[in-house]
Amino acid sequence: MNKVASRVKSAFGNQQVLLLTVLVVMVAFFTSRNSVFFSNAVFGNILSDWSPIVLIAIGETFVIISGGIDLSVGSTVGVSGVVGAITMEGMTNHHQGQNLTLVVGLLVTLGVGLLVGIINALMITKAKVVPFIATLVTMGAGAGLSIVFTGGDPIGGGPAKAISLSVPDFGPLSRPGLVVVIIIAALGIVLHKARFGRYTFAIGSNSFAARAAGINVNRHLAKVYILSSLLASCAGYYFYLRLGSGAPTSGQGGELQAIAAVVIGGAALSGGVGNFFGTALGALILTTVTSGLIIINVAANWDQVAVALLIAAAVLLQQYRNRVRK
Amino acid sequence: MTLGSEVPLYEVRNASKHYGSVVALDDVSMKIHAGEVVGLVGDNGAGKSTLVKILSGAHQPTSGQVFLDGIERHWKSPQDALEAGVETLYQESGLAPHLSVSSNVFLGREEYVKGPLGKFGFLAQKKMDRIAHENLEKVGIAVPQSNRSISQLSGGQRQAVAIGRAVSWAKHVIILDEPTNHLGARQAKEVLQIIKNAKAQGLGVIFISHTLPHVLEITDRIVCLRLGKVVADAPTSTFDAEKLLGTITGLIDSK
Ligand SMILES: Nc1ncnc2c1ncn2[C@@H]1O[C@H](COP(=O)(O)OP(=O)(O)O)[C@@H](O)[C@H]1O
Ligand SMILES: [Mg+2]
Repeated sequence: MNKVASRVKSAFGNQQVLLLTVLVVMVAFFTSRNSVFFSNAVFGNILSDWSPIVLIAIGETFVIISGGIDLSVGSTVGVSGVVGAITMEGMTNHHQGQNLTLVVGLLVTLGVGLLVGIINALMITKAKVVPFIATLVTMGAGAGLSIVFTGGDPIGGGPAKAISLSVPDFGPLSRPGLVVVIIIAALGIVLHKARFGRYTFAIGSNSFAARAAGINVNRHLAKVYILSSLLASCAGYYFYLRLGSGAPTSGQGGELQAIAAVVIGGAALSGGVGNFFGTALGALILTTVTSGLIIINVAANWDQVAVALLIAAAVLLQQYRNRVRK
Repeated sequence: MTLGSEVPLYEVRNASKHYGSVVALDDVSMKIHAGEVVGLVGDNGAGKSTLVKILSGAHQPTSGQVFLDGIERHWKSPQDALEAGVETLYQESGLAPHLSVSSNVFLGREEYVKGPLGKFGFLAQKKMDRIAHENLEKVGIAVPQSNRSISQLSGGQRQAVAIGRAVSWAKHVIILDEPTNHLGARQAKEVLQIIKNAKAQGLGVIFISHTLPHVLEITDRIVCLRLGKVVADAPTSTFDAEKLLGTITGLIDSK
């Protein structure tokens, strides 16, 4: 028994065991208040909410581990989804096939993400703007542009097939949800087992040492910010498939949820610390709280209070740990 | 000594470095030969660390040239110098505290798993753990476990890892900026022994220190900087403690 426990611990680290416990307790609590909570339908809903958040949260994990921050991910979800939706609406009006339209829409959506990422990367690595300000600029510009492009309304009128892709085919998971799981699992391996992740940790831990060891710090950081924006545009496309339209508001507040998930997951905003499972569980806890509170009929605004408390608990835990280590 | 007649292993000629209006280095030249330990001394702010950064490729000189084995080199980044076999231990910590000992030893030189996964950058962590341990041991360092993170080590252990990394990778030149700082007497002695071993292997060593007995014990030649200029460059045998101190402070002017 102890052996199993210590295996679990070494595989996931203490933080993740704790997060898993929190999650189980939450599920038990919500189920005890309303048994409807424990159902495939609710879990499916939670996973649908979780998928776009975990996408941007994993990108944010790389960014935060590298010692930076990306505030633009939420508005990149919106602007990329909107531009993709406008493209798909136009193609549909011109009687293009649904599959072709969806593929072109995906490429355009990702293209917008790539563009935002390149702008962030250039500002941060070439113009030496601090990440907080650089991504605040693209956050504002992206949010503004998605309103300009749409007049504030969701853009539908694309392929009818889109929304039918988002039914739960794999247990509670939809096909896009499954793709999300595959993407983030691959990125988790890259973060912890490959050179790209190693350099991300090294730069966030001591960028002088990373440079002295021959790492091209600027080039690596550029890739990290581009990855983050690309994942945000993946989330933009995910929303399109789920809603059948691109809404300028679809990623609103996403940056805060992503940062919250990363911090709850055990990362330090000072860089060099963070992990994949923590972030994935952090995002799952956030979406579970949101769904749970709705199902047990707690007024929606308490959700934000609950999230704030979770962040506070995570930060306190981290400080306590740091003190114990010293 | 006939060293002077050979092509120097590493040489800097007429290097100057300005930080805005601050002249950190002013027309500095120095040479080092294979198997030679050169002491670089000077008061705080004399320009030692700045010279180190030029020699290691971390900074580019405002003017001046660098020669390795008689061939002029232009280091654009530390990577260029590392690839050419010039290793540096910086005064600022050159280790990433959140990474393990072996990850630090292999930082920028990772080993990858065999096959297609390796092409994607998958790390051969076990192999790196093992080799890092062997290399540190070879250099003569009481090695902490390879997979422990640097933040869990004492100051002396960290310094030992940093020195071990530099020495084990160095092919031609090794530059050590105040490596015995913050070390106890026994650890400092270990570091001096490591330097002697490196010299015996034919490496050129540039040793920077404020601990003058160490400089007098270990070096073959001493270069002294004051306010960014070379004020002395002579065999160590021509110095004693008093003269060296006088040269550093400027009470004795040897030029
Ligand atoms: N990055 C920098 N920016 C501005 N001034 C610097 C910088 N690095 C060093 N200096 C200045 O250059 C001079 C030489 O410093 P340094 O090379 O660190 O001396 P030392 O290592 O001999 O103590 C000092 O006056 C220092 O303040
Ligand atoms: Mg110095």
